[in-house]
Amino acid sequence: MARGNNEILATLEQIVGPEYVSNEEADLQPYTWDMTWAEPRMPDYVVMPKTVTEIQRVLRLANHRKIPVVPYCNGTNIGGLCVPEEGGIIMDLKKMDRILKIDPETCYAVIEPGVSHAAFSAALKATNPQWKGEEFSKGFEFGWGVHPASASVLAMAINHGIGHLNGRIGVNSQLLSSMEVVLPTGEVAKIGSCAYSDSWHSFLPLPRMDGLFTGWLGTTGIVTKLGVWIFPIRPYRDVLSVAAASAEDITKYMVRWRHYSLCDEVTAVSWWLAQIPITFPYSPKPADEPEFFSYTVISGWSEEELAYKRKIWEEVVAKEKAKGTKLIDFEYPPEAKRGRTELPSRIVGSTKNYSKSCGGGIAWPGTFAPCKSWPILYEKWKEIYIRHGLSPATRFTDYQGAHYGMLRCMTPFNKRDPASVQAARDAMVECVRAGLPEGMLPYKPPVEYQNELNAVADAGYMYLMAKIKDMLDPNNIMNPGKLGIR
Amino acid sequence: MSHLLNNKELKELGKIYDWVSMCTHCGNCKYGYEYGSNSNFAAMLCVQGDKFNFDSYRGSRGKVSLARSLLHNRIGWSDKVAHVLFTCTSCGACQQMCETDIKPWILRMFEALRYEAWKQNVAIPENIKAWSSTIGTLYNPYKEPHEKRLDWLPSDVRSSLPRKAEYIYFAGCTASYRRKQLARATVSLLQKLKVDFTVVEDEWCCASPLLRTGQYDLAAKFVEHNKTLPEKYGASAFITTCAGCYRTLGRDYMMDAPEGYADKYGKMTGVKVLHTTHLIEEMLNKGEIEFTGSFNKKVTYHDPCHLGRHAEVYETPRNVLKAVPGLELVEMYRNKKFSFCCGAGGGVRGGFADYSLETAGKRVKEAEATGAELVTSACPFCYTNLADAIELSKSPLKMEDIVEIIEPIVRKK
Repeated sequence: MARGNNEILATLEQIVGPEYVSNEEADLQPYTWDMTWAEPRMPDYVVMPKTVTEIQRVLRLANHRKIPVVPYCNGTNIGGLCVPEEGGIIMDLKKMDRILKIDPETCYAVIEPGVSHAAFSAALKATNPQWKGEEFSKGFEFGWGVHPASASVLAMAINHGIGHLNGRIGVNSQLLSSMEVVLPTGEVAKIGSCAYSDSWHSFLPLPRMDGLFTGWLGTTGIVTKLGVWIFPIRPYRDVLSVAAASAEDITKYMVRWRHYSLCDEVTAVSWWLAQIPITFPYSPKPADEPEFFSYTVISGWSEEELAYKRKIWEEVVAKEKAKGTKLIDFEYPPEAKRGRTELPSRIVGSTKNYSKSCGGGIAWPGTFAPCKSWPILYEKWKEIYIRHGLSPATRFTDYQGAHYGMLRCMTPFNKRDPASVQAARDAMVECVRAGLPEGMLPYKPPVEYQNELNAVADAGYMYLMAKIKDMLDPNNIMNPGKLGIR
Repeated sequence: MSHLLNNKELKELGKIYDWVSMCTHCGNCKYGYEYGSNSNFAAMLCVQGDKFNFDSYRGSRGKVSLARSLLHNRIGWSDKVAHVLFTCTSCGACQQMCETDIKPWILRMFEALRYEAWKQNVAIPENIKAWSSTIGTLYNPYKEPHEKRLDWLPSDVRSSLPRKAEYIYFAGCTASYRRKQLARATVSLLQKLKVDFTVVEDEWCCASPLLRTGQYDLAAKFVEHNKTLPEKYGASAFITTCAGCYRTLGRDYMMDAPEGYADKYGKMTGVKVLHTTHLIEEMLNKGEIEFTGSFNKKVTYHDPCHLGRHAEVYETPRNVLKAVPGLELVEMYRNKKFSFCCGAGGGVRGGFADYSLETAGKRVKEAEATGAELVTSACPFCYTNLADAIELSKSPLKMEDIVEIIEPIVRKK
């Protein structure tokens, strides 16, 4: 069955070519849903542009005809962000998959939206950094989070996605260096150093206009090229682990360890998240098991550097134990250790932990929160989850410098059972509501979370956000409905 | 959003709904990748997605989504649905990458979807309908008379073969009717190696094309018939040069769902199924084969999907090639579990010849990039598609089956 309007279809075909447009339901159906509870919404067209000019022409048409446009790369976000709330055009950007530049001297790369983590990581790993003609590392790396290898690097980075280098260098949106964007009205703008030369190394010292397109969930324009900082792979890595009897104990250790800024990552997972698969529905933790397990990844340029970091870590653990923090020694599973020391790896990009026999649903209250609020929120979330029959499969991950970090709860649910879907959604929305007063903010938020955010936001902030949105997208064509303001 | 089984008429699909609903829509299936201290691989493996672009065509996620949309009654059947279903070569690359509980059921789901499509008024490819209309009486998908099935076999050889033997050489339809030199080379090889084998005039199509295109009902009599052959001819094993026959006889006839179709046709027991390369490797390992010459060429090996990803036979053909004096084996970037399909499988060669050959052309270019002089494989169907693409693209590459490389230069010790 075909949808939409034949005249618009014909114009889209003129722009991108007939084989890169469809209004057939059979082609549209994969774009109607994602992993989450988001209600399916059928788009009217899908287009696959190959050039910036084609994107400009599609957006001019959409703006003129007031047709919604949803930018889409792989649809693997856990927030229903690409589900077309009001139908319209899915702009599938997978054909724009060129790695335009890898600059090993200045340590940045320029990519298009369709570049997957797999392709990017492979290319980076094959680029050997040189210093005055001397090779000093086996390739480069960029943050690789918990996502499939087919996921878009660009989409993930501009929406504040995380990576395995969080602890050392921050979330991936902190690693952006320049961008090219097509505005909803069809103009193209370069932002950052690339606006002045072909060097895509930095936004600074210019006004930070990249902020108009990061964290906006594709509602302000389409980023068509992105400069990102890349990092030489350090040849030595190790994983150190410790468990704790409570969220409070593990947080004390993590914050103290993070103050030294010596690790690439420090993460803690609750007992339920450490299970493969996550227990679904909820079942109690055995009394003699720790509440949290933590790993930290250290890296270095020599065994001596690694040994030094290991020594400091051991001192931190010893001092915390001496203070009465209930830390428990445990050995990190060898297979997981291999995955984390040979990053990026399938183990880290896996979704298998979250899906086994649960009925296909995955969602989370994924949030950034002050680290000191982790134990408080964990106890609240745990009560909410257990009340809804769900396992509190919670994760804490520190971001650069102990200022704040991730707090989220991976939540499998059974899509075959409407009651299970409802319970998951209710629990997660309640968690978000409970967390906002503690400084917690959801990232890549589903519409339900966005509504919770907007309800308590500063009025001036909301006014400014709406004003910016209106300025950039006067006809509200870009991913309408996702910000909850139009 | 709930995934509800609203459409009760799609019985075959409904039977595996529990598994279909396990897909998380994560998209691992859309791309091949592997990293680690000794690996750095990333490439598109989905033949169909590579050609038709949209997510509906990419990996298993698009087809799972389609299955769900149909089961939930969210979309109806259409010619476009049929196009999505029948342009998949069933290569198994998406299954290789999947990490969720649907993984073992992915190919079965594709076949179940096709089964349902036959009952709808949608555009099943004309050529598939054409061979399907006669296969029930001709016992092959090439619309050739059954009486001519053994025409490839020289009469003197035929008369010299025993009626009963340890092995039945199951030539398969492609070698019997389209690549007769492969069947002749295989028989010559088996004779040189003094293997106790026979060839049978009542061999029918193994049913691979029927199963892969979802024609379960029609497939039943083929499976039933072929299962009787070992006992009739006193054989304990089938041996085949065809990867498709190997997969079908060895898995579909013998294994429980989802790997096989024992749930529909019962289980063939007490019989072994060997690919020719298995036999050669075994005899090489026992020191029973002597090379009488060399093969001084640089060669690249194309993994047939039915032998590779479907049956996980990767090293056996390579071990055979490595044993050949003078032969230099070089690998394509996409190989073994990350191989790229030749484009012929799943009924695609018959249903969409141009697209099938275009895919084979991509594989030929990849083979050329290795610097090889010759591409080899272990399947007459892959042979056909790759050889045609070589000819069409005027590639300098030559194509030979492993059996053709081995046969002239071996004898039994």
